[in-house]
Amino acid sequence: MIKIALVGNPNSGKTTLFNGLTGSNQSVGNWPGVTVEKKSGKLKHDQFEAEIIDLPGIYSLSTVSLEEEISRKYIMNNQIDLIINIVDASNLERNLFLTYQLLDSEIPIIVALNCMDLIAKKLDSLNVHALQEELKVPVIPITASKKHGIIELIDFLAKSDFSHQRHLMTYREDIEKTLSDFEQILGQRLLAIRFFEDGLKAVEFMQIDQKTIAILDKSCQENKKNFSIDFDMVLPNYRYDRIVEVCEKVLLKSKISVVSKTEKIDRILTNRWLGLPLFGIIMFLVFFLAFGPIGTWLTGGFVKGIDWFFTLITQTANSLNMASWVSSLLTNGVFGGLAAVVGFLPQLMILFFALSILEDSGYMARAAFIMDRALSKFGLSGKAFIPMMIGFGCSVPAIVSTRTLDRDEDRKITMMIIPFISCGAKAPIYGVFAGALFFNYSYLIVFSMYILGIVVAILSAMLFKKTILKSDNANYIMELPEYRAPTAKNTLLHTWERSKSFLIKAGTVLLGAFIVIWFFSYFGFVDGSFRLLAKDEIEYSILGIIGKFILPVFRPIGFTSWKSTVAIMTGFAAKESVVGTLGILYGITGDAIQNGALLYEPIRMAFSSVQAYAFMAFALLASPCIAAMVAMKRELRSWKWFAFSIIYELTVAYLVALLIFQFGSMDTGTMLSVIFAIFVLAVVFFTFKSIIKKKGNVCGSCNNCAVSGSCHLPKKDDFEKTNFDNKKGDDFET
Amino acid sequence: MTLKDVLPGEKCIIKNIYVNNLRKRIIDMGLTTGTVITVKKMAPLGDPMEIVVRGYSLTIRKAEARMIDVEKIIGAKP
Repeated sequence: MIKIALVGNPNSGKTTLFNGLTGSNQSVGNWPGVTVEKKSGKLKHDQFEAEIIDLPGIYSLSTVSLEEEISRKYIMNNQIDLIINIVDASNLERNLFLTYQLLDSEIPIIVALNCMDLIAKKLDSLNVHALQEELKVPVIPITASKKHGIIELIDFLAKSDFSHQRHLMTYREDIEKTLSDFEQILGQRLLAIRFFEDGLKAVEFMQIDQKTIAILDKSCQENKKNFSIDFDMVLPNYRYDRIVEVCEKVLLKSKISVVSKTEKIDRILTNRWLGLPLFGIIMFLVFFLAFGPIGTWLTGGFVKGIDWFFTLITQTANSLNMASWVSSLLTNGVFGGLAAVVGFLPQLMILFFALSILEDSGYMARAAFIMDRALSKFGLSGKAFIPMMIGFGCSVPAIVSTRTLDRDEDRKITMMIIPFISCGAKAPIYGVFAGALFFNYSYLIVFSMYILGIVVAILSAMLFKKTILKSDNANYIMELPEYRAPTAKNTLLHTWERSKSFLIKAGTVLLGAFIVIWFFSYFGFVDGSFRLLAKDEIEYSILGIIGKFILPVFRPIGFTSWKSTVAIMTGFAAKESVVGTLGILYGITGDAIQNGALLYEPIRMAFSSVQAYAFMAFALLASPCIAAMVAMKRELRSWKWFAFSIIYELTVAYLVALLIFQFGSMDTGTMLSVIFAIFVLAVVFFTFKSIIKKKGNVCGSCNNCAVSGSCHLPKKDDFEKTNFDNKKGDDFET
Repeated sequence: MTLKDVLPGEKCIIKNIYVNNLRKRIIDMGLTTGTVITVKKMAPLGDPMEIVVRGYSLTIRKAEARMIDVEKIIGAKP
């Protein structure tokens, strides 16, 4: 069986072609970077069988971000028999750059020229035959989204013979000379080319010795003299010059210049004045749909259905005369827990649906463009906005959607701050406490919780940037794709795929967690015997015992009763169970989550307003629910980072609650003197900071700026000196 | 002048690229010396900027734009 890899620019239609070739149903987005892991499928034809590998999109063989590394490795290691290079015909120049890089390798290549319908729409004409002559590889025109040309492509694959050597690219004379110098040292033409473009980064994987590096460096310095432009720009420049020539030959631009649909839409959606308000309205609509009347209504109906099913199970369990612990496990552990999580499904599905539409249409890229400035202030990239926004609904999809971020560090930081953002499930907690204790100010108190969450999230992002995940500000460079009308099939597919992974998680990891929590809360020692407890005996449960045991730790943040600690602990299963548990502990009959007012009286008895505020802050900031933790572990792909973020979140929650409680319980005199002390300290701090800062004026281009010595950016001369410096390889990362 | 100083609607031609951060990505996406760039607009908050290069829309931050040396094409039709 032959191995065929699909290689192409991000958002050029690889996944659509992959679906067309293999008949599978992978979701497709109009947002660069949809394919983050490689996928493979089988192509079956009566004459041959092939394994098709869908690689993440790359702009070039040089760029080495996490996903792009996968693609590059595949191509460089010769693990494939054939490359189908998918080229977006509506964006020919840039797409051909990768094609020309691929042509340097010895792997057979077929070019699939996609989006031919767009060419026709623009009234341009493209001479496929001439392009084939220029590239000296077969070129097959297709329109992947409409399934045009796919059969022709498969038939072509069936009848072609790729065993003979392909014609390799030749370069200008001076370039060829340099290449042959490098080839003598490295032993391989492709490697020589990669080294010419990328420097030592390109040969890192070979682990060459210091002596060879010295020889390479010397050869580099000598050859550098032959070129007037930056050494690493020689090849790209030459390639692009050639591509422009080719494009002039094959592509006949229509004389009638039409303002494209995309441009018309963008005149409104990314307008200087309208862009921001419209963005706000679109985001509001998404949330209104999911968490407003429609979402609540759907969830209500859904929960009723689950409840009905739940009662049926309980009745069946009871009527079958099963052991009491079995029926308790089923009703309280398994279904109780699952109902709490699965109840979110309708809202999540609406959220996923709306987000798929935004993604497929191409608006998501604009959202990142609009928000980048605001987020860059905190060291994040505009692309981090969407995950954070989703975080207000539910942390789980928010964490998963960080995949669209460019860099691993940015992804980690965004993931770790998302749990601080107040998700929908935390709202009942504020509702109950604010309603019970703050009367007329309750709205302000609830609002302040949301603000607290955002502030802590932003401060954490800045802290991470400065300390453990040290890196420059998140990078941002992004293509704005053309708008496309989202197709119903793809949108539904997207929604379904994401919902499915949520359900699978609920059914596996979460189920296990719920059973453990059930065991902890329904078993315990009463009068010396270990047995199943009734609902109001939670005091004797293992959880109750732990709650009492750890209470001293929580006293400084204002917890006076083990009931508070137990309620917080059950919050790890699902945040809304904090209120539910309080209901049980205070002996409320009826559903405390749905009718918070029932809890007002006992809360007024047990909490002072400062205690309540500290409690709310702790519930908001302490580590997220199990569902979110599982998502986090999966996306961080490391126990170390996972453990760190959980510990960090607990610590921050504790410190913030401590601050609130200790400060809040002071009498007015002490409070004023503390405020005064903080004020003085702040003044001193900022004065010093501004003195230090003055030394390094921010400068513009480091070409001829007078103070450029103090700026961290390289001067022109320095830059040329370090052009092939070993360290510079790090800057290639995106 | 640098790309940062080019106003929306104006065209310019790249003289040299001093960008260190994201350098390869910027070059490989088609910003090579001699390339013509049209600045389309600034984001509503003033940064990043949208440029049209080689027939497609690219958005880049001013931090990178100010490291790209350009020459304005005078009298170019917007």
